[in-house]
Amino acid sequence: MLAFTIRRTFQSVVVLLVVGLVAFSMFRFVGDPVDNMLGQERTGADIERLRTQLGLDQPFPVQYFKFLRGAVQGNFGVSYRQGRAVSGIIAERLPATLELAAVSAILAVVFGFGLGVFTAIRRDGWAANTIMTLSLVGVSLPTFLIGILLIYLFSVELNWLPSFGRGDVVDLGWWRTGLLTESGLKALILPAITLGLYQMTLIMRLVRSEMLEVLRQDYIRFARARGLKERVVHFRHALKNTLIPVITVTGLQLGSIIAFAIITETVFQWPGVGLLFINSIQFVDIPIMAAYLMLISVMFVGINLVVDLLYFAIDPRLHVGSSGVKG
Amino acid sequence: MTQAPVPQSAITRAWESDFMWSFRHSPVAIVSFVVAATLIFAAIFAPLIAPHTPFEPGTLNLMNGFSKPMEANEFTGETFVLGTDDQGRDVISTILYGMRISLFVGFAAVTFAMVLGVTLGLVAGYAGGWTGTIIMRIADVQLTFPGILVAMLIFGIAKGITPIHLRDQMAIWVLILAIGLSEWVQFARVVRGATLVERNKEYVQAARLNGRRPLGIMLRHILPNVLGPVLVIATISLALAIIAEATLSFLGVGAPPTQPSLGTLIRIGQGFLFSGEWWIILFPSITLLALALSVNLLGDWLRDVLNPKLR
Amino acid sequence: MLKSLLNGALALTLLGTAASAETFRWASKTDPQTMDPHAVNSAPVLGFLNNVYEGLVRRGKTMAIEGALAERWEAIGGDGWRFFLRKGVTFQDGAAFTAEDVLFSYQRASSEAADTASWFAPVSEVKIVDEFTIDFLTKAPNPIFPDSIANFMIMDKGWAEANSAVLPSKDEGNYATLNANGTGAFKLVERQPGLKTVLEPFENWWGKPEHNITRAEFTPIQNPATAVAALISGDVDMINPVPIQDAERLQQRGGVTVIQGIEARVIMLGMPHKAEMLKYTADAGKPNPFLDVRVRQAVAHAVNVEAILAKTMRGAAAPASQLVSPAMRGYSPSLEARPAYDLAKAKSLLADAGYADGFTFGLKCPNDRYLNDEAVCQAVVSMLAQIGLKAELDAMPVRNYWTELRADNYDMYLLGWSPGTFDAEHPIRFLAATPNKEKKLGSWNFGDFSNGRIDELLPMIQSEIDDGKRQEMLNESAKILQDEVAYVPLYVQPLVWGTGKNIALTQRPDNFLILRWVTVN
Repeated sequence: MLAFTIRRTFQSVVVLLVVGLVAFSMFRFVGDPVDNMLGQERTGADIERLRTQLGLDQPFPVQYFKFLRGAVQGNFGVSYRQGRAVSGIIAERLPATLELAAVSAILAVVFGFGLGVFTAIRRDGWAANTIMTLSLVGVSLPTFLIGILLIYLFSVELNWLPSFGRGDVVDLGWWRTGLLTESGLKALILPAITLGLYQMTLIMRLVRSEMLEVLRQDYIRFARARGLKERVVHFRHALKNTLIPVITVTGLQLGSIIAFAIITETVFQWPGVGLLFINSIQFVDIPIMAAYLMLISVMFVGINLVVDLLYFAIDPRLHVGSSGVKG
Repeated sequence: MTQAPVPQSAITRAWESDFMWSFRHSPVAIVSFVVAATLIFAAIFAPLIAPHTPFEPGTLNLMNGFSKPMEANEFTGETFVLGTDDQGRDVISTILYGMRISLFVGFAAVTFAMVLGVTLGLVAGYAGGWTGTIIMRIADVQLTFPGILVAMLIFGIAKGITPIHLRDQMAIWVLILAIGLSEWVQFARVVRGATLVERNKEYVQAARLNGRRPLGIMLRHILPNVLGPVLVIATISLALAIIAEATLSFLGVGAPPTQPSLGTLIRIGQGFLFSGEWWIILFPSITLLALALSVNLLGDWLRDVLNPKLR
Repeated sequence: MLKSLLNGALALTLLGTAASAETFRWASKTDPQTMDPHAVNSAPVLGFLNNVYEGLVRRGKTMAIEGALAERWEAIGGDGWRFFLRKGVTFQDGAAFTAEDVLFSYQRASSEAADTASWFAPVSEVKIVDEFTIDFLTKAPNPIFPDSIANFMIMDKGWAEANSAVLPSKDEGNYATLNANGTGAFKLVERQPGLKTVLEPFENWWGKPEHNITRAEFTPIQNPATAVAALISGDVDMINPVPIQDAERLQQRGGVTVIQGIEARVIMLGMPHKAEMLKYTADAGKPNPFLDVRVRQAVAHAVNVEAILAKTMRGAAAPASQLVSPAMRGYSPSLEARPAYDLAKAKSLLADAGYADGFTFGLKCPNDRYLNDEAVCQAVVSMLAQIGLKAELDAMPVRNYWTELRADNYDMYLLGWSPGTFDAEHPIRFLAATPNKEKKLGSWNFGDFSNGRIDELLPMIQSEIDDGKRQEMLNESAKILQDEVAYVPLYVQPLVWGTGKNIALTQRPDNFLILRWVTVN
């Protein structure tokens, strides 16, 4: 187990280095940051001077090495656009994204589980079929369109909910939360639905199919045969055995919620890291882009690592790598 | 699926098979199939069906722009069934041609992702060891980058390295590559998982003991066993690819506006949501919804049918 | 632990509490990237900071120059300009405003580290005469100098020195990037880059307030549909821009007013005047047809500007015949006719030039820079196709655009130009003069247009004091540019703002929102 953990951790570090390299080389193609930092009346000399100041005239390996050296110390440099330390900017924006992601995830898990169990138990009922079909509508339209339609309906036509932003926030010192004010909570509803819809559908379908499988298995039949009540069978036995695979997959999905927040944040002008990233692409703010990608990578790789370790601990069949082929 | 004058027994057997039986008894599957087939058919034969050729700039008249559905244009007097967009392009025609591009991108991307993912998944699962580890770590890197980012990255790089006069023709291929690369991991994970389980079974062990070469074993034995889930993922991926293409368009890295896909049409139409020209966004959105939903429903149905544990 | 929690709870501050009637919230596409008035010469920055900082002169509601920190000014013969400063003005931190601050700001704004140095290219020396008088000496007579420094904002010397912000910093930022201390009608009270910036009235401002705002909050909103939704639902009081296509519908809706005007920006097509070959499509490598003036004329006659204005611009824009709009100083009224839309003439011009069958080429276009830029380019593609010129359109975000143009990767391109000085000399200097790095001429003349007479006229225009003679030379330049079809000017871009019904404000042609003209009812 220890050897496995060490090896996996080592691999994760390699993954991060590769991501850093890919991310960093990507920026050479995104555009020219200098163009966006100078006004209309600049001259060629101004451009050259700024390029030197930013170190963009140095060879690529040198730039990459400098970036890595800084990144290891948690220093991602200074934003070209804002002229402030990137780490500070990210720390400022992260709470908004994490709150949005957490609420979306909770919505997705709660409704995903509920509806998944329901559709599995009532496998062929009309209500279950309707839910299954409707849930597919949600994943058959692009997220940006769903977001815009929600704004159109609930903000413009009905005027129930705010159309953009995060509402009033409360400053807890190191964390600005929108969860403690009425306007903050209201502002959260539409983006959270937009972001969580896709994951909810995914979880619901997963729960349904896992549950259906479990319900077919012998011990469930046996439980039924013993005369246990249906509800007990469903919730005590079936659901419990559905949980492990569903939880692992859900865990993986949660990471991607943060990544997918990019689109939702753009549509709702949600002041999180996703919006920051999109803006930084627009202005070729390389230090921000690099830091964002590294952040996402660390999160994903971390989640991956945990999931893999869990698998290893739970499923003995996967011990193949270390103990040879078993019959 | 109608009768045809071919050997009766084969048709009958196919018709009576479990698969077809299940299809015939699922109204959702039938409707989805009809919708998807109709749309795909319409897209393939768009040049024959479409009333106009929206991609031929010389035939467009800007003054036809913003014609309402079924109403004569106030300047030119021409009438368009579903109206025209901001460039004076007939909406029906742009949808038909746009769907062609969306479907082409979708099918090509999924095929690419499937071939790549299945191959790598098989290798990773069967070979295990360092090969497997490296492949699955690459998959991790891939998952680390959200699909959208992967696509944007590839888009940027392709723009950087292609000769300038070829770039525009590249857009579609770059989309295919980008979407394909962001979806292969799904296939690889499933196939690897299945392979890990299958490879320890007696028949594979036996084949190996018989001195068969690994490639042969994998293809002959494992592939048929993972075909079901792969088909399901492929179907869902097709819907995903079409949606992903639309999302990329929203971010400005999709199909060019002179050769719009459904996604590009929606992105353009989005600008007219508040201006009263609802038809420019509504019809492409409905088409996209119908296409993605029917494909998704088919995928769903396939999943249930092909999963032996649910019978 | 408990104690610190308790302290935290007590220190809870509600940010942005209940909006009182005089809070004005507005949104625009771009966040001003810095609060430093000398670090970036771009409209979002200068427009925003005009509310906080002030210049020696400023522009009024009709763009006319009026006194701000200078009460009056006069030419010192042909040697420069003397400014008489306003007395009793204080900065927002309480420091007194004197000629020292002007000299300091000049040194700061004209330094290499600044992005505004080009404004001071004609200046040879700045001399303090007394505490409230200062001379700007120029190398040659410069009639438009006061006009050209309307956005030159004065910073307090003491404040900048105390906060180590003596020079602007483009790459790393400094104190002045996030903080501001001007003499303007509003002071900066909160700055969250990219999210929210809050201003409040400066109680000791020297002028008489015309507004009734007690607090002004700015939020950038990138997605146009989201901005429109925010305006309709009353989440903001003003947005800029309103997508042109939404203007009419919004106007009909209760609760929203749309304000339209003509901006200073002229949108035009550019062509290569020096490249030997075409670079795109099947005809790549063939001789460059745009070298022939008849081909350029054909392009000008083939573009149906009226149709673009009616459809793509929804009647909100005005056609353009020159590189500047009629509202600019030095416009030539006698040359206001633009080439007529005439396909037959365009075809015969092409035939004369030996291109009766047309040719194919690549058109480059930004897709997030000007209003509906991509749609305009698409329309141009259709129109040129009618005379056999098949353009392949490559539309891209502006972040890649200038790099492409600078690398000469185009056969034709779309360009918008807004003269910073509001004078016709500006585009000649940047777009028409033969490119020359040392003299800083023609830096945006991507097509390498070159005309000996234009190069001769430019310095004469720059130093001519007599308005009549100057105008004659400007007319001559405009005529040459028209005859040579250096560019094909299309239209003057419109300004479209949307406000709540309870808001009264003034829309200035430079697209600046001046808060001291805003009233909330």
